[in-house]
Amino acid sequence: MGAAEATIELTPCEPPDQGRKVLHHLGAGDRSSTRVRIVDATLRCLARQGVAKTTLDDIARESAFSRATLYRTFPGGRDAIVEAVVDTEVARLFSSLAVVMGEATDLEDVLVAGMVEAARRLSAHRAVAYLVEHEPGLILPRLAFSQMDRILMAAGDFAAPFFARWLEPDQASRAAEWAVRIVLAYLADPAPRVDLARPEDTRHLVRTFVLPGILALRASAETQSPNPKPNKGAVQ
Amino acid sequence: MSANVRERLLQATYDCVARWGLAKTTMEDAARAAGVSRATVYRYFPGGRDELISAVVGWEFARFFLRLYDEVHDAETLEEVMERGLVFAHNAILEHEVLQRILQTEPEILLPRITVEANETHKLVAAFLLPYLARHAEAEGTDLDEAADFLARMVLSYIGSPGRWDLNDPVQVARLVRAELLAGIR
Repeated sequence: MGAAEATIELTPCEPPDQGRKVLHHLGAGDRSSTRVRIVDATLRCLARQGVAKTTLDDIARESAFSRATLYRTFPGGRDAIVEAVVDTEVARLFSSLAVVMGEATDLEDVLVAGMVEAARRLSAHRAVAYLVEHEPGLILPRLAFSQMDRILMAAGDFAAPFFARWLEPDQASRAAEWAVRIVLAYLADPAPRVDLARPEDTRHLVRTFVLPGILALRASAETQSPNPKPNKGAVQ
Repeated sequence: MSANVRERLLQATYDCVARWGLAKTTMEDAARAAGVSRATVYRYFPGGRDELISAVVGWEFARFFLRLYDEVHDAETLEEVMERGLVFAHNAILEHEVLQRILQTEPEILLPRITVEANETHKLVAAFLLPYLARHAEAEGTDLDEAADFLARMVLSYIGSPGRWDLNDPVQVARLVRAELLAGIR
């Protein structure tokens, strides 16, 4: 019963069609594949007991596969499976962000939709919550200082194309990285009055601080380069 | 007097941590380095080694923010506070040999502590920024507490992880401060 409950809570939201295509492409949407079933079973173990205590036998029991099947699918064993869980969850997060951001029709909505979706998914993620609470020594080194730089750059690179309709590439990367930075800063240290999982809070923050900042980024880029590329700057 | 002993103990413990790391520094090491008895160390830190280590991390944190305060407290404008503060703090982190070594060798011990500490830190930074905001914020209807809270979070994020901003380039720093930090406030 406990396992069944966990299954329901951990199953990622079903994405709309576009997202399903992305997921399929990543191999993460095919629930019947052995690989994905192992990953999802491991995710349930991680949310329940963390990384250190999750053994290959736990994963075998939870996924109902034999140890031999686990090794055939992931020759690297337990650690390789845990890495695959991380990769799969990042891919799922990105594909759900791609869906909501791709549907937005102006710059403010792209920002709000992406930030709300990221904040919702990350703050509701049971395995992440377990690790932060019980195994901070394991997860925090991957989230601090130069490791956080890598996350910011990667997430910025991912999100930049969604801003490209309104911003030059350099501005789009900076704006995207900034949005990611804000989400992570508020998640790491929750503010009493601001919950970025609430669209109204995020929209207020975007209107107050982020949009004026992006306009200033654009203006400062134009004063820096004497010949800005024509046309792209036409924002409605 | 007792403040002196406490200070001396913290400095001595810091020296031990610099030499041997967090995990290997014991109450005995701290007592020997400070020239006091083990009982004295326990009198000041009844929670034992764990309390002592947390106190040392907090002590170095406080020293860092005092130096940061020295660096920016006479700045004339909000832009100047931000520019000087970002550059100084980021370089102080990069050049902090003990911090950098422990981030390599014992991040699992250090990071949970500075993350827990950081929850209070952003309030300190926000409190420091508030008077500057009150004096210099010009944007119509700026909620000063909200702006200070936002700015404090952003500043702490950039000094630890500047991402694609090069904080050694004054042109980029000026641009960052005027766009991502102050555009909604000024």
